[in-house]
Amino acid sequence: MKSVVTTVVTAADAAGRFPSQNDLEAVQGNIQRATARLEAAEKLATGMDKVVQEAGDACFKKYPYLKQQGEAGSTQTKVDKCYRDLGHYMRLINYCLVVGGTGPLDEWGIAGAREVYRTLNLPTAAYVEALTYTRDRACSPRDMSPQALNELKSYLDYAINSLS
Amino acid sequence: MLDAFSRAVVSADSKNAAIGSGELAALRQYVAEGNKRLDAVNAITSNASCIVSDAVTGMICENTGLIQAGGNCYPNRRMAACLRDGEIVLRYISFALLAGDASVLDDRCLNGLKETYIALGVPLQSAARAVGIMKASSTAHINETNTSGTNPDETRFRKMETVKGDCSALVAEAASYFDRVASALA
Repeated sequence: MKSVVTTVVTAADAAGRFPSQNDLEAVQGNIQRATARLEAAEKLATGMDKVVQEAGDACFKKYPYLKQQGEAGSTQTKVDKCYRDLGHYMRLINYCLVVGGTGPLDEWGIAGAREVYRTLNLPTAAYVEALTYTRDRACSPRDMSPQALNELKSYLDYAINSLS
Repeated sequence: MLDAFSRAVVSADSKNAAIGSGELAALRQYVAEGNKRLDAVNAITSNASCIVSDAVTGMICENTGLIQAGGNCYPNRRMAACLRDGEIVLRYISFALLAGDASVLDDRCLNGLKETYIALGVPLQSAARAVGIMKASSTAHINETNTSGTNPDETRFRKMETVKGDCSALVAEAASYFDRVASALA
């Protein structure tokens, strides 16, 4: 799993050397920003169910046709799966906030997603709408501190960009 | 390879759950103690060649047969291999200490090490003894409890210039990585 520490260790190992001062400084820089992202991860985990619910509602509100016959949300089972998928994205963003990198989203969320959505005939625009709603809905200081919010939004943007 | 953070992610993913306050507390501890950890890694890397050569010297002093004809540290070629292996083990331990997780040590160093040593005829007991001495001196360097020992004129003796504090958790963690190597060789 990619994070600043594992990247530094992999590079040092490939060169067959002990961790250098540069390596330690890189880890130190990561640690300095860690407080904000751990706060964001905690707040996201706490409000996870509500965040997912609101994001899914926003998506079906903007694209009501999705619930029509033959569309991606035509039955309750399918609708539930949409909410479940959004839960996956939020969970992966929670992981990204913990490791301080896009590794979890890349490996478990984005790799192959485009192909899967095409095969299953799912609209990526709906996911984009749900994630965008979450991004614009989150605000500081109501939800979390400004720096934490910044970290959260950058991962939401990363997911949005990968889908759009 | 995992670090303390990605370890939390992998175990949360297997439960299909987000990472909440419980797991985050341990990670906040890593962050709060971050500078201490970097100083500890620095204490090992800065004294690496000293730690390694002292450990190999100690191992040989206790078992001089190693450098006599037919011993496993004779001739120089094999002595050099021994010093190199000591450095490699210490290097992976420093990686593990930096990451706060033993996976890099397990995957890249210890996996198959015992089998390799058996195949090459390296005495496992001697190797484990050298690791034991490295553990003693490394933890002393991290804790700054190192002394010049029985020789008051020891010129290579040094202390790091870091602020003194409670490093017991880090020392215990570093010691656990050395123990991991020793038990992998047992």
